[in-house]
Amino acid sequence: MNSDLVIKDLRVSVEDKEILKGVNLTVKAGTIHAIMGPNGSGKSTLAYTLMGHPGYTVTGGEVWYRDHNILELEPDERSKLGLFLAFQYPVAIPGVTVANFLRAAINAHRAEEGKDPKETAIPMAQFRKQLREQMSALGIDEGFARRYLNEGFSGGEKKRIEILQMAMLEPSMAIMDETDSGLDIDALKIVAQGVNTLYAQHPGMGVLVITHYQRLLNYIKPHFVSVLMDGRIVREGGPELALELEEKGYDFLREEVTSA
Amino acid sequence: MTMKTFPPLGEISDALVIEMSQAAGEPEWLTEQRAEAWRFFASVEPPFWRRTDLSKFKPEQVIAAADTAATAIYQEEDLREQGVVLTTLAQALHSHEALIRRHLGTAVESTRHKFLALNAALWQDGVFLYVPKNVSVELPLMAVFSMPVPGGAILPRNLIILDDGARVTFVEEYHSTAASEQAFAAPVTEMFLGNDSTLHFVAVQTWGEDVYHIGAQKARVGRGAAIEWAAVNLGARVQHIEAETALEGDGSRVEWVAATFAGDHQNLLTAPWLRHIGAKTEAHMDFKTVVKDQSYTTFDGMIKIEHQSRATVSRLEEHALHLSPRARSDSIPGLMIDTNDVARAGHASTSGEVDEEQLFYMRSRGIPRDDAIHLIVMGFFEPVLDRIPNDALRQRIAEMIEAKI
Repeated sequence: MNSDLVIKDLRVSVEDKEILKGVNLTVKAGTIHAIMGPNGSGKSTLAYTLMGHPGYTVTGGEVWYRDHNILELEPDERSKLGLFLAFQYPVAIPGVTVANFLRAAINAHRAEEGKDPKETAIPMAQFRKQLREQMSALGIDEGFARRYLNEGFSGGEKKRIEILQMAMLEPSMAIMDETDSGLDIDALKIVAQGVNTLYAQHPGMGVLVITHYQRLLNYIKPHFVSVLMDGRIVREGGPELALELEEKGYDFLREEVTSA
Repeated sequence: MTMKTFPPLGEISDALVIEMSQAAGEPEWLTEQRAEAWRFFASVEPPFWRRTDLSKFKPEQVIAAADTAATAIYQEEDLREQGVVLTTLAQALHSHEALIRRHLGTAVESTRHKFLALNAALWQDGVFLYVPKNVSVELPLMAVFSMPVPGGAILPRNLIILDDGARVTFVEEYHSTAASEQAFAAPVTEMFLGNDSTLHFVAVQTWGEDVYHIGAQKARVGRGAAIEWAAVNLGARVQHIEAETALEGDGSRVEWVAATFAGDHQNLLTAPWLRHIGAKTEAHMDFKTVVKDQSYTTFDGMIKIEHQSRATVSRLEEHALHLSPRARSDSIPGLMIDTNDVARAGHASTSGEVDEEQLFYMRSRGIPRDDAIHLIVMGFFEPVLDRIPNDALRQRIAEMIEAKI
């Protein structure tokens, strides 16, 4: 089984406008891979498409993960395959507590065809213990477990709850969509530490970090950096590429790309 | 169990109404009240309601229960020592006639329409609850009304009286399993809240789908008193409930929530009226509706801020969630302000299908689409379920909602 995430010539349109114009990219299992790009380059489109958002129309290409072309799978099936998307703008679910939501998600992952869901469900005590531990590691007040998911949460709280969900679901391929946006430096450190801890505990886990700024990459150190511009990957390199972009801005690449 | 019934409505005369009342040993004033209500009933046409479909309803076939067999009362502790009275209204006539006479029919007007008059004329079922001054009742008190026979009819009359400073939780539930014949319920609940009293009122309608339910509920709220009102409407073929909270006393408050879930061909209407009369009265209304299949619901609400009120705070929220494109929900909120002194008045309303962004978010966590919709609907109703004081009842309602999704 191949646990690399392999994106081949991916083309995606939103309302008849082509946003991704043939993206080729491989996120190797066990590595942290950053995608950087300016506003409007298609970063979020890539994140949503990988997770299967119905608003994005795939017009061409394939995305392979664990022997499946995941473009043919529903979002919940992709999740069960090990994919996880940490949202840039997490959605509020009124009336559904963080704890109940997480339990439903975990039980959905544990469900097996032909088996009574009650049989496969996580025992309550085990769930509570796990939740308490993860919340404490991420510095989230225990009271959040009983609050309605993302309702009235600050930007920083939402991002921490995204990481909490990730820690509870233990994905094998995590996609972080602009996780740094709206975070102050302390919150950023906590969130990054959460990702790093999870990564360290799970050898073989792949992480795709999507970001506009290099700042996040000071705390989540990537092995590879790819630059997305106008719907295509225009440059690939190591961590030094992020630093170069930080120094020179995206314009120097844009000039290179247009003149090429 | 044998059940006594009246003859079909078409065969009843005011002489019979008087005769039966006298035979039951009822006081003269009540016999007169019944006869007068009957004469009104007999003289008027059924009301024409645009949004309540009575086209298949045949009132002349209604055979109303003539005893209290449909009323079941539940209380977990003996409250007699504290002076709390919880019994059938018919029984209470023997012990609390003066109190009943002072209140009966003074909240809900019998001549408002034909079926309220019918209730006033023929009621037998129903509960009398009296909580004396400064007495707090911890555990919820419950009355459950059933349909005594398939195709039957009941006309319960409930009278809830809280003396000053009293506190109590009262749950009324209307429940039956579905039968094929047309059944009918026309209950009336009148609530009187003395100064600084607190009533937690829960009204649950879980009839089978054969039932036409035409009901009225009204609370008159005294100075500094508070009512927390939670309504759950899940059953019946047709429901038409006119409910009213009158914030009469200064500083009186209402927290009013409702959950309505209609499926199949159900036609469920709720008409909550809120009247701000006293000074510094506060209201928060949160009405939630889910529609499915070819059902049709109506929220026909009205907030009236009366001339003599001052510094009123009023907020209305009503939200509808559509689970299928053929279902329909109408919302007709009204606001009448007859004063210049309103502190805050607000209104928020939404109506639409399940939010695709919420669905995608939940599915991205591995939750299948159907399960996600279940969670969203249960979450939608959570503020109402949260206010059901009895665990077993809350659980049962949650299961009924789950089964309807």
